Amino acid sequence: MAAGCTFFGGYPITPSSGIAEQMVRSLPGAGGVFVQMEDEIASLAAVIGASLAGSKAMTATSGPGFSLMQEHIGYAAMAEVPCVIVNVMRGGPSTGLPTSPSQGDVMQARWGTHGDHPAIVLAPSSVGEVYDLTVKAFNLAERFRTPVIVLYDEIVGHTRESVTLSPSVEVVDRVAPDAGLQNFLPKAAQANGVPPMSGFGDGYRFHVTGLAHDERGFPTEDAEVAGDLITRLHTKVEDHADEITDVETFMMDDADIAIFAIGIVGRSAREAVGQARAAGAKVGLIRPVTLWPFPSAEVAAVAEQVDTLIVAEMNLGQMIGEVERAAGQRTHIVSHLRADGEPITPSALLDVIESSSRSEEGS
Amino acid sequence: MPEQTKGLVLAGVGGQGVILAGMIVADALVRAGHDVKQSEVHGMAQRGGSVFSHIRWGQSVDSPLVPEASAEVLAAFEWAEALRWVSYVREGGAVVADLRTIVPPGACRNTRSWATTYPGVDPDLFVDRRLTAHLVDAASTATELGNVRTAGSVILGAVSRFCGIDQIHWEAAIESLVPRGTEEVNLAAFRAGCEVGEATIPVAPAPPEGFSGPHQIEIDHTWCKGCDICSRVCPEYCLAVDLRGQLNVVNADVCTGCHLCELLCPDFAISIHPPSTEVVTAVD
Amino acid sequence: MNDVKKYLREWAMPHVLCPGCAHGIVLRSFLEAVDQLQLAQDQVAMVAGIGCSSRLAGYADFCTLHGTHGRAPAFATGLKLARPELDVVVVTGDGDGLAIGGNHLIHAARRNIDITVLLLNNSIYGMTGGQVAPTSPEGTVASTTPSGNTEPPFDPCQLLLGAGASYVARVLAATPTEMTKVMADAILHPGFAFIEVVADCPEYFGRYNKAGGGAEMLTQLAGRDTGVAVQLADKRFVNHIPSSETAPGLQTGVLRRETRPVFSGVRGGGDHGA
Repeated sequence: MAAGCTFFGGYPITPSSGIAEQMVRSLPGAGGVFVQMEDEIASLAAVIGASLAGSKAMTATSGPGFSLMQEHIGYAAMAEVPCVIVNVMRGGPSTGLPTSPSQGDVMQARWGTHGDHPAIVLAPSSVGEVYDLTVKAFNLAERFRTPVIVLYDEIVGHTRESVTLSPSVEVVDRVAPDAGLQNFLPKAAQANGVPPMSGFGDGYRFHVTGLAHDERGFPTEDAEVAGDLITRLHTKVEDHADEITDVETFMMDDADIAIFAIGIVGRSAREAVGQARAAGAKVGLIRPVTLWPFPSAEVAAVAEQVDTLIVAEMNLGQMIGEVERAAGQRTHIVSHLRADGEPITPSALLDVIESSSRSEEGS
Repeated sequence: MPEQTKGLVLAGVGGQGVILAGMIVADALVRAGHDVKQSEVHGMAQRGGSVFSHIRWGQSVDSPLVPEASAEVLAAFEWAEALRWVSYVREGGAVVADLRTIVPPGACRNTRSWATTYPGVDPDLFVDRRLTAHLVDAASTATELGNVRTAGSVILGAVSRFCGIDQIHWEAAIESLVPRGTEEVNLAAFRAGCEVGEATIPVAPAPPEGFSGPHQIEIDHTWCKGCDICSRVCPEYCLAVDLRGQLNVVNADVCTGCHLCELLCPDFAISIHPPSTEVVTAVD
Repeated sequence: MNDVKKYLREWAMPHVLCPGCAHGIVLRSFLEAVDQLQLAQDQVAMVAGIGCSSRLAGYADFCTLHGTHGRAPAFATGLKLARPELDVVVVTGDGDGLAIGGNHLIHAARRNIDITVLLLNNSIYGMTGGQVAPTSPEGTVASTTPSGNTEPPFDPCQLLLGAGASYVARVLAATPTEMTKVMADAILHPGFAFIEVVADCPEYFGRYNKAGGGAEMLTQLAGRDTGVAVQLADKRFVNHIPSSETAPGLQTGVLRRETRPVFSGVRGGGDHGA
């Protein structure tokens, strides 16, 4: 709401329902609208409809609901409708482990909807960061006219902790077209790759479609036009990846072992790094705050520095491929995985650090 | 030798009062002591169609239907009806015909010129059968008397001189059968009809005021897909799709502007413009 | 007759629909209704799903949203809640609105959100090539029922009456002036208004089921109007128009009109809707 959100459309699902329950209390008093839809497909559809009407809009869901939303994540990407989707990850596949944490959706968040599409995914690890990154998510969504996903797990979702909120936050609004244009082209991009956006009822009449379309927003099967559109949808994000990317590093200055972890695992890792340092090991942490676009350069720099890079994730190895791609042959990569509904603990990571140190000494 | 049975045919258009007139004639003949039989057909009266009444009288009448070429007199309330029924009059018989013309929809063939297939008024048509033609303008006479709806009584007056019964019977029949309260005006109309002179034959009727031709059909051939809905719904058969699948205006002169084709064109390819509109288009 | 072309994106015409498909007639009738009501063109939002019917939105010069398959009522709900002053009209079809989107449709009806839904029922999937639809009568030959459909069809109006729609009407694509009249009435209705527009699909339904082209299908459709039959039956000289097994009569006109609280979401100012 600090980011200017005035619309929430959702559907109950553990462990994200708390967000809806809070929004229905907070939004109406602040001039916003809350609606509980008939399913997650409808929730994101309503959010997109509200965004087209000029509102900043969001939804929140978990696992199976996120699967249902994939259709409209693709629609929002294609039609370039700003919106924010919070996915509180739980154990999967299918109904899986509804009340347990997981990081099993990191690849779905990137590639869940069909076809080539851009992705901006933010991965907070604390309650305070959920606040900051949700604001950032709205800002990025409005700036790039694209859906932005805030991805965290059940533990972060259900954590209560005291936070200090910034008294004021920077808020970015979508760029509106100049008034009084004779020939408004709803999908004609500015130099930054993003077209100015008019709302329904603002005065311009235009067509919005999920079909490949031209600058008028009208469907086309012209290969050149379609290709240009898909490319632009990517480049408008990828060309500004350095402005989006945010990576937290901890005790990396002299580290020769690093842990790569996101979200709640990042917090376990931070604890493990502290304990390992106390025991004399030179361990550091790299935690992507923005998971997609993937922080390849930052991972490559870490790989250049350390002898061992431990990739810890609460799934059966979804991020390690990306890390290996970014790291190349620069370092030894160790994978630590867990997908049983239980979190990766600091002590488990300490064990990994210890065995990595031993193998390093042995080499 | 028994008195020969005589016949009379009344013909007109729905709404003119032919049926009532037939009843009056029959009643008058009964009052004069004849055996009378009457039959009538009025099925299409609602659509401006033909209405007629046959009456036969004499000492003893078997059938009410007047055979062709046997009627003493034809009383036609409308010009085309006079022509339709004239063959029923015996050679040397009489035709009383109102010059009024009522063009049925089926005879409208060109709304641009208001030309119709309606026959012209020509009293010479009766000459070769040596008929006595008595052409009247009953509506004008009745209007002069104050009620155009008594035109039927005017015609009866004109007919009475060929029926050979006393005027007292006619007047009694009229008094007993016309709507209550109109007895006097109908009797006056009847008496005027007894003395009505020959009407002047009018020139061809002018088109209705404000009429300037048919509506204009504009086809956008770049949008038309030749689905044929328009040509199938057009009541005037103005449109047709040719063998190449192209829609053409084949009968531009008769469009009445009903807009059915326009409303039922799925492709927005037809526009109907009022007659006076300038349509800038290349219609094939 | 009004010039409704001012509501058309003429640069996008001719539209993609097949020859004889009545969907264009329905669009025209809708534009006539908009013109009759003198709605502000900028404030009309047309929301569509996927399918032949949904393609109509692209040709209407309003704010038009061509969404995803079946979801138009959900898009429209968000749009209307966020900007209540818009006149929001959903254009959907029998597959879009009753199969994949049935859930969204009945819930929009239940909530009584103030939108108008035009469901163009041609009893078949046209855009995907003539597959059987939830409204295909039993026996219908379709590309997925080559031996004839064995599933019973939905009656869309009965479904929406059951879902609690506050306005339900049925019109025929063969009677455009009646369509316009009912559409204008439905747009003015406060709350959820549903119109089933019975239309044709000569390309698939007509071809597969030997029902003829657009002209034949529309003529037959007009003959199924029991509203007219009932009116004519009052005239003593007209026999009751019989309905055959393959083409039963269709009750046209407004089947329900009731006033109940209009849904506006949970919002401030004590206005919490229904």
